[in-house]
Amino acid sequence: MSEPHRRLPLLRLAWRNAHRSVRRTALTASAVTVAAAALVFGQAYVRGTLGNMVDTYARTESGHVRVRREGFTTRERSLPTHLSVPGAAALARELSGLPGVRAALPRVRAFALVDGAGANRPGLLLGLDLALERDYWRPQAMVASGRLPLAGRAEVLAGEGIARRLGVGVGDSLTLLVQTAHRSLGGLRLVVTGLGRSGMPFLDNAMLIVPLDQAQGMLDLEGGATELLVYGADAGEADALAGAVRRVVENRISGGAEVRSWREQSQLMRLMASAGAAMGVVWALMLLMAGLVVVNTMLMAVMERTREFGTQAALGMRRGDVVRLVVAEGAVIGALGGAVGAAVGSAVALYLGRVGIDFSGFARAIALPFDPIVYPAWSWADALGSVVLGSAAAGLAALVPGWRAARLQPAEALRT
Amino acid sequence: MTSTRMTVGLVALALACARAGSAQVTAREVLERLDANMTIRTVRMRAELIVHYRGGDDRTMTFESWERGTDQSFLEFTSPARDAGSRFLRQGDAMWIYLPRVGKSVRIQGHMLRQGFMGSDFSYGDASENPSMANDYDAVIERRDTVDGRQVVVLSLTARRPNLSYSRRRTWVDTERWVPLREELFAASGRLLKTMTLSDVRRLADRWYPFRIELDDALQTETTTTFRVLEMRLGVAVPSEVFTLRYLESGR
Repeated sequence: MSEPHRRLPLLRLAWRNAHRSVRRTALTASAVTVAAAALVFGQAYVRGTLGNMVDTYARTESGHVRVRREGFTTRERSLPTHLSVPGAAALARELSGLPGVRAALPRVRAFALVDGAGANRPGLLLGLDLALERDYWRPQAMVASGRLPLAGRAEVLAGEGIARRLGVGVGDSLTLLVQTAHRSLGGLRLVVTGLGRSGMPFLDNAMLIVPLDQAQGMLDLEGGATELLVYGADAGEADALAGAVRRVVENRISGGAEVRSWREQSQLMRLMASAGAAMGVVWALMLLMAGLVVVNTMLMAVMERTREFGTQAALGMRRGDVVRLVVAEGAVIGALGGAVGAAVGSAVALYLGRVGIDFSGFARAIALPFDPIVYPAWSWADALGSVVLGSAAAGLAALVPGWRAARLQPAEALRT
Repeated sequence: MTSTRMTVGLVALALACARAGSAQVTAREVLERLDANMTIRTVRMRAELIVHYRGGDDRTMTFESWERGTDQSFLEFTSPARDAGSRFLRQGDAMWIYLPRVGKSVRIQGHMLRQGFMGSDFSYGDASENPSMANDYDAVIERRDTVDGRQVVVLSLTARRPNLSYSRRRTWVDTERWVPLREELFAASGRLLKTMTLSDVRRLADRWYPFRIELDDALQTETTTTFRVLEMRLGVAVPSEVFTLRYLESGR
């Protein structure tokens, strides 16, 4: 009559076995360490980069929700100022009262022909409420020299690129010619109070930031704006916010209104936002490679311990227990490697998350809303997850050597 | 072209009016006749520019213009009120704009030359360029045809110098009155940029002029533009000071 099977203290045995060959354990764990560190930092980096793009896009282009006159977007190439949102200030106040809305900001966006010191260039006129935009467009962060223009004054913050091409600097004058809301020719002479640097060349070579009231006057908008941007607490809730905004705006704008969340405005941004999920494939491949290293080193360990497994089998250890023991060893070593990797990856991600990574060179080559300084966004979940995943991957990888160990015949194993 | 390269050239595109000629002239002779007809000592014109928007709206602007020879012209918008007082001066290939609300003249150059003149399908470049068809273009006769019942010769023109607004043109020239009745304007790439239809051809002194031009800028899909001469007088006295920056900015 056989004795009832006694449950083995697998984790304790595995922990003890992991210490028997520190060098081999370190080699096995190092593969998991590298993978876990890459996982933690990589996720923080990807989240930071995608967040940067979505955030910059929402701040400078789309809002969380954007309200425009119907037809504006299909004619966007010409920025048709005659298709404006009338009574923008009153509508913005009303939208600001919606639950979850942090700000509703009227903006003016129009093409302008700019005359500087004897040269003409096309420019992008941006009429902003400079006080309300401090946390959104953040014009104050773009002042490279001089100061921001003041509301009520014919002043402009010119992008460094366009200012250089026009041959003007702080204190000089620019003349802007625009097509007004009545489709006639309008214009204004403005004093350059500052030069702006966004790090986004397509902006720096064109932007002309003027106080909202000056842009409205120049374009005969009479209190209107070409768009109204609504910001909620969370960009992820933009679609629900768009529904609430739509209910307020409906029938308020003659000719109809376009109310779109940032996701509905740009396919590219939608793709970017979902690219994080696609990165899962990369992380899985990384873990697979770490797992292959674990398979190799643990196979070596199993071969070296053939006599030991033979003895254990001779003493009645079941095959399942042998597999479980080897898998537990793999999992323990994986957890050790994962913990070290998570610590290293976290340290790098947290440090770079504070100082940022400068991609100015890359930003110069792309025409996307992208702040050239990327801050990796570290998270506890990534760090803990990488320990769990590292342990699980190593445990799974140990199934192969475990299976090999379990198949050893006691008599044969003892002869080796 | 007469009147105002700025205006009918606005007109400059149209150009070419002419005296009667033989039906068997060469392409080169056609161009020479057009150029000869375009050279007028002085002209004063009142005209309107109507921009037709997709969706049915129209915007009508009226203006008066003065031109002396082929190199000097001055134009002032008189209506609607928000455009009244906007002025343009051309001296040779140089062009300036003055808007009362800006209070300063601006030289139109570079990128701005490609923009729509007062939001129309004519560009500032169209209004400021002053090509001599015979000197600036090589021409071949593509075929003979009829337009609105009139005999025309279809010319294919290729620019001889690189800095012209249009590298290629195809022009339908009335072979009795030597007026272009239709013109297609192309970029160097061969892409069609503008299509112009000229009509309401009237006799003025010993010349024929198109009093109506319809222009469609293929790149500006929102609009088409009609240019219509309301009144044209040739040989009028135009004071020299009209063609100065001081006059442009002060109006006197």
